[in-house]
Order: sequence, then C-alpha cells, then structure tokens
Amino acid sequence: MGDIILTMKDIDKSFPGVHALDHVNFEVRRGEVHALMGENGAGKSTLMKVLTGIYTKDSGTITFEGKEVEFHNTREAQDAGIVIVHQELNMLGHLTVAQNIFIGREFKKGIYIDDRRMNEEAKKLFDKLHIDIDPTEIMSNLTVGKQQMCEIAKAISHDAKVIIFDEPSAALTEAEIEELFKIIRDLRKQNLGIVYISHRMDEIKVITDRVTVMRDGCYVGTLITEKCTKDDIINMMVGRVIYEDPKTESAVPKDVPIVLKVENLNAGRMVQNVSFELRKGEILGFSGLMGAGRTETARAIFGADAKTSGDIYVNGKKVEINSPQDAVKCGIGYLSEDRKRFGIVVQKSVAENSTMASLENFVKGIFINKKEEKKIAQKYVESLATKTPSTDQLVVNLSGGNQQKIVIAKWLVRDCDILIFDEPTRGIDVGAKNEIYKLMNRLAEEGKSIIMISSEMTEILRMSDRIVVMCEGKKTGEIDISEASQELIMNMATREIE
Amino acid sequence: MEKIKQNPIIRKIGINRIVLCGVLLLMYVIFCILSDNFVGMQRIMSALNYAYFLGFLSLGVTFVIATGGIDFSIGPVMFCSALISGYCLTHYGVPLAVSLVISILVGLMFGIFNGYFVAYWTVPPFIISMASMNIAKGLASVFTKTQSVSWPQSADANGWYRNLVKVGGFPVGLVIFLVFAILCSIILNQTKAGRYILSLGSNKEAVRLSGVNVKKWEMLAYIICGILVGIAAIFFVAAYTTVQPGYGDQYNNEAIAGCVMGGTSMAGGLASISGTVIGVFIIALLQEGILALGFTKDYQLIITGIIVIVAVYADVSTRRRKN
Repeated sequence: MGDIILTMKDIDKSFPGVHALDHVNFEVRRGEVHALMGENGAGKSTLMKVLTGIYTKDSGTITFEGKEVEFHNTREAQDAGIVIVHQELNMLGHLTVAQNIFIGREFKKGIYIDDRRMNEEAKKLFDKLHIDIDPTEIMSNLTVGKQQMCEIAKAISHDAKVIIFDEPSAALTEAEIEELFKIIRDLRKQNLGIVYISHRMDEIKVITDRVTVMRDGCYVGTLITEKCTKDDIINMMVGRVIYEDPKTESAVPKDVPIVLKVENLNAGRMVQNVSFELRKGEILGFSGLMGAGRTETARAIFGADAKTSGDIYVNGKKVEINSPQDAVKCGIGYLSEDRKRFGIVVQKSVAENSTMASLENFVKGIFINKKEEKKIAQKYVESLATKTPSTDQLVVNLSGGNQQKIVIAKWLVRDCDILIFDEPTRGIDVGAKNEIYKLMNRLAEEGKSIIMISSEMTEILRMSDRIVVMCEGKKTGEIDISEASQELIMNMATREIE
Repeated sequence: MEKIKQNPIIRKIGINRIVLCGVLLLMYVIFCILSDNFVGMQRIMSALNYAYFLGFLSLGVTFVIATGGIDFSIGPVMFCSALISGYCLTHYGVPLAVSLVISILVGLMFGIFNGYFVAYWTVPPFIISMASMNIAKGLASVFTKTQSVSWPQSADANGWYRNLVKVGGFPVGLVIFLVFAILCSIILNQTKAGRYILSLGSNKEAVRLSGVNVKKWEMLAYIICGILVGIAAIFFVAAYTTVQPGYGDQYNNEAIAGCVMGGTSMAGGLASISGTVIGVFIIALLQEGILALGFTKDYQLIITGIIVIVAVYADVSTRRRKN
C-alpha cells in the first residue's frame, strides 16, 4: 500500500427527512483495494455519489492528491481521475467495443470518425489490462462479463487514479469474477486506488486490503481485511439498537392451517427452487439484500412474471397461476415496492383506484354503480385513516403513505386473504410507517395472511412471525422470530456462494 | 382568473370546453364578417355535413387515444367501408340495408385487426395502423377495380339512406351524431369498459397487476373505434354520395385534431367526448370557412397541422406543470 490518494472527511449530506450521511470519513491509498460495506441504505452509494459530483455535500472536505477538490458532475471527477464502474452497464449495444469506449470523444479525421485509430487505441488498452476482446466486435455480442471489462477499460482510458466498483460481480459468473479479480489485482499493482462495493463477504476476504463499514449513514470503522473475520464485519454492519420493540415470539399458533404453499419455484436466475409455507394470520418476513430475488419470487407467485416451474397450493388445493388475473381469483393481492409504476393509476380518483381489482362487484347492468363505489371507498378511507379531502380526489395529489393505503384498500375491497407487501414502507415517513405497521398487525389478527418483503432489518424483526432469508435467488434460511437476530439473518443473507 | 376557475358551474363544464365554444362562435362571426355569403343556414348545413362523418371518426379515435394508442387508418378505412359496401350495392344488387351493415362490418374488421395486433402481439399502434391504412386503400382499389363508386341519389329507389343526414331542411344527422356522442360518453365514463380503457391508458401495468385482463379491454377500444369508423362511412356517402379509392388520409389528421383539441391527452388516460364534439365542429367550420373565403383545401391542411401541434403542446405543457 502506498500513500493516501483520497481522503473524505466529515462528509455530511441530508435529503428532506433523511440524514443520509452523518459526518462520514473514508480514505483510499494508492495500490489498495478498499471495500465499502453496509446494509441496504447504509449510505455507500450516496457517499460515492458525493465523491463523483452527482450529489453536492452539505459539509466536509474531499482531498484528492493533496489538494482539496469539489466536483460538480461526473465529467469533472472523470477528468481529475476518479471514475465509477456502475452495476448497471452503460453501453450502447449496437456500437462496437471501441466506439463505446471512446464515445463522446471520438478520434476524427476531418469530418469522419477515425474508427481505425479508435480500434488501435482500444487494443492498446486491452493489452495493458491483459484482456482478450476484439475492439471491432459489436457490444451486444459480448457476455455481461466482457461488457464489464470494456467498462473498466473505458474507465482506465480516462487516465483514472481511483476506480470505484459498484457491485461489479452481481451479474457475473464464477469464471468471470476470477477474471475480474485478475484485472483488479493488476490495477492494484499499477498503484491505482480501488474502491470495491459488494455484499459478498467471501469476495471481500479474497480481493480487498481494508474494509470500511457504514451503518445508517454513519461511519462505523475501518478494518484490515487480513486481520478480521466475517463475523467482525457483520457485527459492525448490524450493531444497531432496535428501538421499535421487536416481536419476541410468533403470535401464530403452530397448528393453524397453511393457506399458501410454494414448492420449488423457479423463475429465471433470480428465483431458484424457492419453497415455503404461509399460515393463516401469519406475517412472514422475507429478508435479504438488494437483488436477493425476493421481489422476483413475489412476482412469480402472483403471475406478474412467467415462472419456469414450481407448484403453488392455496388452502391445500393446487392452483395454476399464469397471470395476475389467476392470482387475484385465488385471493392473492400484491402491493408492489414501486407504487407509482405498479400500484396506482394516478390520474384516477381514490374511489376508482379502490375498486380497480373488483369492479365487477360494482356494476349494475352495464353501468358502474358509482354511489356504491364511493361508499366502499369511503369505508376504507375511514378504517385505514387515509388522509384525503374526498373519495373524488385524484391519487396523484396524495402523499406516499396515503397512496400506499389506497393500494391496500384496493386489495381489501377485493377481499384478498393472502397479501404480499413488497417494501410496504419504502419512501414513507416515520409516522405513516407506524400506521402501516399497526394496520398490518390488525389485518393479521383478522385472519389475513401476509408476506412482507423488507430490506429494513428493524422492520423484519418488528413485524414478522417467521422469517425467510434469501440470497442470490435462493432461499438460504428460515427462522422463527423467537430465534431470530440481526447477526443470524445477515449471516444467511450473505451466505458464501458455492 | 382563479376565482372564475373555482366557480362550481364552470368547473363542472370545464374551462377548456368553454374556451373551445368561444373559439367556435368567434370563428363563425369572423367568417361571417370576412365572407359576404356566409350568413344563413346553407353554409351551416354544409359544415354539418362535414362534421358528421368526421365526428364519428373522431369519437372512434378518442377511445384509441384514451388507451395511449393511435390510429392512422381511420380515414382510409372509412373510404374502404364506403367503397366495398357501395360496390356491393351498385354492382351486386345487395339490398341497401345490408350494404349499410357491410359498411359497419368492414370498419369492425379493421378494428379487430388493429386491436388484436396492438393488444396481443404488442405491435406499436403507430406501425399497425400505418399498415392497415395501406391495406384498406389497397383492398378498396382491388375490390372496386380502382373505380369510384356513386351511391344512389335521394330521388333514386335506394335513396332513403340520405335521410340520415337531413330530411327537408332538418339536420337529422346532427341528432344522430349527438345521440352517439352521448352513448360514447356513457361508455367511457359510466361503464366498466370505459373505466378500464382510461385506466390502462394511464398506467397499464398497475391495471394488469390489479388482476384485470388489460389485453381484452385494450382491444375493445380499437373495436369500438372500428365500428364508429364504419358508421362514419355511411354518413360520408349520405352527405357526398361519391367515393374514390386511394384517398382518405387527410381525415386522419382532422379527426385526431378534433380529438386532442377537445382535451383528450395523446399520452392516454384522459379523454373528453364533449371536447371531441366541439373540436370536430371547429374543424368542420374551419374547412367550410376556408372554402367560403376562396382559399383552396390546401390551406386547411396547413391550419389543421398547426392546430394539432398547438393542442398537443398545450397538453404536454399542462402535464409537465402538474408534475
């Protein structure tokens, strides 16, 4: 490890209602691979966005190569030598590899683009990285792994001194990860500073020199990778006090009937052989890190996406669910994590949204019985304590928490017995959050069965009777709430991938 | 201005519809001043003749635009309907009543065709309606051997269908058109079909995830459109009797212009039948006025083009402000 190339000191950043970064410290040395770890929402991405000029910091200093700097956009950061390799690739599939690498700064010969020179330069870059890719190949013909290498080559071509990898291995195969590590070691040898963001504990142990852990927007500490264990890191990640009294034992007796049974569900790469059972009146928490395949599992059960195989039983009877229509007929309702896109029709009123899933019950002859519709909508506005001036209000004008209640009302009007809540409190302020929690508990007491997907550990521990943990599309654990702890869940959620 | 907007009666009718009515009246007054022969019933009846068939086209395309789609085949399909049914009437001796049914069936067929490909094969509406526009033109030419078709005159044995437009001096067509407009308004605002058509135009995925068969309802919008286009064909021949193969495109833009001017959003989810009706009257009056002032039809094309741009821009900019 060489001298310090980059120091971020006392970085503070707030968004309305959220203190995203609370005086965070972070440093990178030349020739080191520095892991940045933390749960979902710990502030890793925000910190990197502050560094590369996507967000402006509220206070604190960034020192790069001995000089204090402040970037206003990624371009400025790039020019200074700090580049980020994103998780999602930003490549244009129809262009060649070389054209992608030099996009926006093409070599020209008169008014023509000098493709030959770009190919030569790209070849030189690849040679330097010991990568074997043909610069004239069309980008979309490459595997995801190769595309990522092009992305790295592009970063290097900016004369980078610090490269940030944001979950680079998420979409790669084992062999591709090996190759990626070879390149990263190479870059380390060339004295570059490397920031490596990943959830995969085993990778952290293999490739990084130091680990900085963040939690809830705060800097927790920095460890030398060699000298610490996986448990040390996990303890730092989750060592949070749970102030909202967690459930200590399940409220559901062992002998209540099973309402939903899923067996060996498969749907693409993100859902592999998932099996579980849901009991009547139970809240089943689905925990895991981003991209663990929980939403994909829910969507496959609900018929929103096609599944490749697997059996679903509702109340002991095997059912065929190939579309949301089928699922709704079986009494399953799905509340998406993205309300605006998948939950509500913003240009329609509260009443119209409330009956969206059960309109046939409100049709008299050929006409919609709007009086009846408003009555039922009003009933749920009252029982869910939705804040809206009237049931004629367009939902676009409601706050996030109230929009969520409209989606809940939609499934209650339909009288669904199985409700899948996907991140039910995302983007909802604290007060409304508590209301949603109370509501979920009430629904469970009334005999509704709930699957709750949540990335918030506190939410999982507070609400669930039982917890299913997923990692990389597989179910990696199932625990009763009485045995659950943050450490145990995090351990299951970061299981090493064989 | 804010105070006026808050007035309950004005709110109910809608400020833009009041403005549109004002524009319509203003246009009439201007034409009367500029042209010495515009005053009187004759010009109005002539403008109404134009408004009937255009109105049915515009009502039809309102349903399609409400889903967030578009249909560029309505004009040519209307001609195709009129030509095929007229050819059956004049060359094959098919009874008049049956010919009228054939006209509607041809429109319905194209509606099913467009709707099926848009809803079930997810072909972009723009592409499929361009394709069916060409198919309609070609089909009509082949069927009629590229001959124009003249439907019977009022005095002929089979001339009673012309009473659909006018009996004596009374504009029967206006009554029929308004009845259909009210029917459309009821379908759009009071029935399950209309609710789903508008909702899926606003957020198709959310409606699908509510367990609604969105494909069925999206296709239905095109089918309703097709039927109305078939009816438009009847009113076209009832007003003008003669149809030529190979034409009809110009009415696409006029019908769409009437629709978006009336407040139907090209992005889908918002539609107003009453707005469409007023929009159609404006377009019809415009074309009559331009002819009365001695300009050629070409000027009307230019003005219609400009109207479409202004109306769509107004829609886009109000939506941007709201976000």
